[in-house]
This record gives sequence, structure tokens and C-alpha cells, in this order.
Amino acid sequence: MAASPEVENLVEDASKTRSREVATRVLLAGSALLVLAVPFLGASPFFITLLTEALIFGIWAMSLDLLVGYTGLVSFGHAASFGFATYAAGIFAMNISADFFLSTIVAIAAAAAVAFLTGLVVTRLSGIAFAILTLCICQVLFQISVVWRSFTGGLDGLIGVPLPTLFGREVEPGEEFYLLTAATLIVCYLLLRRVVESPFGKTLLAIRANEDRAAAIGIDVRRHKLVILILSWMTGGVAGTLFVFLKAGANPMSLYWIESGNILAITILGGIGTLFGPIIGSIGFIFIRDQVTTMYRAWQFSFGLAFVLAVLFMPSGIAGIAERIWRRLWPARS
Amino acid sequence: MFVNSLNGIIYGSFLALTSLGLSLVFGLGRVVNFAHGVLYALGGYFFIIFLPSLGWGAMVFAPLVVVPLAIAMEWLTIAPIRNRDEIYTLLVTFGLSFMITGAIEYLWGTETTLIKPPVIFQGTVDILGNQFPVYRLFASALSLLVTGLVFVFIQFTAVGLKIRAITDDNEMAEALGINTRWLLTSIFGGAAGFAAFAGALGAPIFSVEPEMGMGIIIDSFLAVILGGLGHLPGTAVGAFIVALAKSIGGGYIAEWAIAVLFLVVAAIMVLRPRGVFGRGRIA
Repeated sequence: MAASPEVENLVEDASKTRSREVATRVLLAGSALLVLAVPFLGASPFFITLLTEALIFGIWAMSLDLLVGYTGLVSFGHAASFGFATYAAGIFAMNISADFFLSTIVAIAAAAAVAFLTGLVVTRLSGIAFAILTLCICQVLFQISVVWRSFTGGLDGLIGVPLPTLFGREVEPGEEFYLLTAATLIVCYLLLRRVVESPFGKTLLAIRANEDRAAAIGIDVRRHKLVILILSWMTGGVAGTLFVFLKAGANPMSLYWIESGNILAITILGGIGTLFGPIIGSIGFIFIRDQVTTMYRAWQFSFGLAFVLAVLFMPSGIAGIAERIWRRLWPARS
Repeated sequence: MFVNSLNGIIYGSFLALTSLGLSLVFGLGRVVNFAHGVLYALGGYFFIIFLPSLGWGAMVFAPLVVVPLAIAMEWLTIAPIRNRDEIYTLLVTFGLSFMITGAIEYLWGTETTLIKPPVIFQGTVDILGNQFPVYRLFASALSLLVTGLVFVFIQFTAVGLKIRAITDDNEMAEALGINTRWLLTSIFGGAAGFAAFAGALGAPIFSVEPEMGMGIIIDSFLAVILGGLGHLPGTAVGAFIVALAKSIGGGYIAEWAIAVLFLVVAAIMVLRPRGVFGRGRIA
């Protein structure tokens, strides 16, 4: 993607005032506290479960933001990272150990391995060729998950994944699992924030702005792309692990192209290059979908329409608009 | 092996038709039309809708309905973002495929429809001891003929010359007074018509269902990438590589066809990132 207004949001604004920075931190800390406090505010079990799913999607959407927003690599097959991890974590939990940390590590390692292998091919590409090839890889994984019945359960998927355990104690579904998910989301957010604000993250922005020029000033573009691809898949793997424990099973539909489309649309609608925006997008998506699908058959049509309109008229997403308002509230003093 | 190869060639001739349109539109306007697959699907659906009343004339009529739809689509969604990066066209048309697949399921349900070929083509012929449906051979010959005509059109007519000029150097062509805007819209419509025709022609072979566009778009994209983005002869060759890898690979290891296909594509991409002729673009 060429340099556009949204790049301005990414590059450190020289005129950013101290007060706005403090206010942003207060806002982020406040939202983190609010997310952690939800179970104690008398929310219904149904609401908690739905919000758990939304936060899992938030982790997944952040992982896609690393590619789309920070490196300019638009992946059309990001369901692969998530879906593959649901199988890896699910099979491990069913057969060896349901320990949350162990399962997560296994899923992350498996995701990293696949990301490395596919990365050897896809990091040669960018733009459209990258988009299409990632889509194809995801379709291959989908096909494998359907065909390899003895290992993946075919179209039925994995059924009967046990509850996760944490330090030898079973995590109760509902509030406890929600808190585990929320804590994971916050940890992931803080870690990824560090990554995108590091010199490595700034180098990614340079690649995003112009790959050829980045290469010309001596950046090893392919290696950077490979590292961020692996990191993105690992983060997607965390989301996949949580998801398989939430649903107590894995399903090949997690690898389907529609799922890749959903997460890409969520990330773009939420606002790419912000990490925070995709989380907002996920919460909006999960709750609106829940309300709408039960009474309205044309959900897929409407969602496609919303996506088209967003790409045409609102490419910086919800977070882009929110950021503009935020800047009004805390104007830079000259 | 022989039957698999023959089926591969038949599928390849359909794929050549759809991927050619994709490649043309990309070469002309740097538009990556993900919705090409759903236009193919719409061709199949309009065909079975018109079939009871129009008979086999529906095969011509279905594309005629899809063309104006596609032109409207181009006007409303692709023209406004022509100055943005080309990845946006992929995003917009991806959203459009969501919409149209959703609309198809909403209007006509999710079931699969398989129709019989016309009576005169219902028999089978004996090829080297294998019984082969006549309609498959006929349909494949027809789509090869149309593909050939597209090539002749581009190579030997004045409009074709303009198309090649734009593909080669857009700004220079505009400076010479070619109306690229108008040409892109008409080629977009034309490509959609060919995709819809392929969908209608293939209905008795591949059946009609809401997701049919998705399978063909992935294979078409692979064909276009293999041939080198925007390189037409490469695209046609790519279509046959994809189809043969799928059908021959599938013949040996049944349901793993798509994995075999991907390995072939990945190998070619690593060895020849600019496509089989080494003349396409890499990004």
C-alpha cells in the first residue's frame, strides 16, 4: 500500500503533546480495567461467553493487523493461522495434556513452523500475489483438515476437547475462562505494542511505505517479512488455542475462506495500523452478528456491503475516526 | 491416467476462459477482480433460471444479463478507487463476492443443481476404450474456440491493439489519445460475459451451487500467477498446468488433489517468480 493519510497515524507525530499521550495511556488502562471488571458488574453468562469470543477474535485481528497495517502485506488467508492452531492445540489437549500453557506453547510452535514453511514462498511476494497465495495456502489447509479424517475428524472436526487446566487446576467455563482470555488479550496487546514501537516495527513501516526503497537503504526485506509473518501466526495461534477451549472442539470451517474474509473485514473496519482498532472491530462484529443472524437471513450480503462501503469511504476504519476526534479533544499546542 | 488427463484438459479449457478475463482486466486497469468467480456462478444460475423458458438459448442469454450487472459494479465500486493502490480493488471485489454469494444463497438457496446436457449431446463416445460423454468434448471445444477468438481479437483488431498498448504502458497510451476509462469498463463487462458463459456452459458438467465461484476463482488466480500477472499467453498455459496438476494429481492420491496443485504452484513460483514465460510482474 502506498503512503496514505493513515500512515500519518502510524508515524510518531512530532507535535503530539504530552497531555494527549498521558490521556491515551489513561484511556487504555481504563479499558483494560473495564474488560477485567466485566464479570464483577453483574453481566449475564451469555454476555460473558459472547464477549469471550469477541476478545479471542480481537487477539486474532491484532495478529492480522501486524501484517496488513504495519507491513502492508494483505493476507487473504489468515484463517490459516487460527484454524491450524485450533487443531494443534485441540489434538494436544485431547491426547496429551490440557494444561493451558503447554497447549498454547504447542499451538504457537506449530503455527510458527507452518508460518516459516509458507513464508519461504510468500515472502518473495507482496501486494496482490501475496494476497492470492495466502488465500490458496489457507484453502489447502482447509482441504487437508476435511480429508485427513483419522487425525482431524473430517467435516465433524474435533469433538470433546477437555477444559483447560491452569497450574493443575481446571479453569471453569464462563467467568474464569473469560478472565483468562481477557488477561491473555492484554498481555498480547502490550507485547505487540512493544514490537510495533521498536526499531523493528519502524522498519516494517518503512517496508510498508515502499519496499524497493527499504531494500535500497539496506533493509533485509524478506527476513523482516518472514519474522513478522511468524510473529503474526504465533499470535493467531494464541487466539486459536483459546477458541478451541471455548468451543470444546475444532471445526474445519475455522479454516474456510469466509473466515479469512471475516477477520480481514473486521481488521479493516476496526482500523488497521492501530492494534486497538481491530479489537473494537471484533467486539462489534461478534455482537452485531449475534443479534442479526437469528432474525435476518441476508447477513452475509449485508456484511459484504458494509465491507465494500468501508473500503470505499472509510479506509482508516473506526479507530481512524476515533483518533481524529481524540486529536480534537487534545489538540497539539504550537 | 488417460481419462484424468482428458478431464484435466476439459477443465483447463474452462479455466482458460475465466482466467483470461481476469488477466485482461488486471493487465488493462490493474484491477484484481476477486468477484470474477461469482460472475461465473451468476452465469450458471441465470442459465438454469432461463432454461425452462428459453431452452438452450439461455446459454447466450445468461451472459447478456451478467454483463450489465458487471458494468454497474465496475462503475459503482471500482472506478472510484482507480487512483488508489491496486490492493484496494482486491478488497472491494472480495466484499462484492461476499455480497453476491450471500445474495445467491438468499434468493436461490444452498442446494446443488445438476442439469442434463441437451439431447443431441447426451451420448458417450469411445476414446481408446474409455466411454466419454460427448457434451464434455463439445463444451471444451466451444470454450477453446471462444478463448482462441479472444486471442485473435486482441492480436489482430484495432481495439485489441489499444488493449495491448494500455497493458504495456497505461500513461503513454492515454497520452496518445486512447480512452482507457471507457475501454476498461467495456473489457470488464466483456470479461464478465465470458466468465458467465463459462458458468453456463459448464453447468451440465460441474453443476451449479452457491460456492462454485470460489473454486474457479482460486484456480484462475493460480493460473494468472503461474502465467505471470497480466501476461495473456502465460495465463492460458497456466490454466492448463493448474487443471492438469489437479486432475492427474487427484487421480493418484484422490482427495489430495489441491495439495498436489499447491506444491506444483509453489515450486513454479520459487523457480520462476515472474511466471512460466518470465514476463509478468511480481507484485
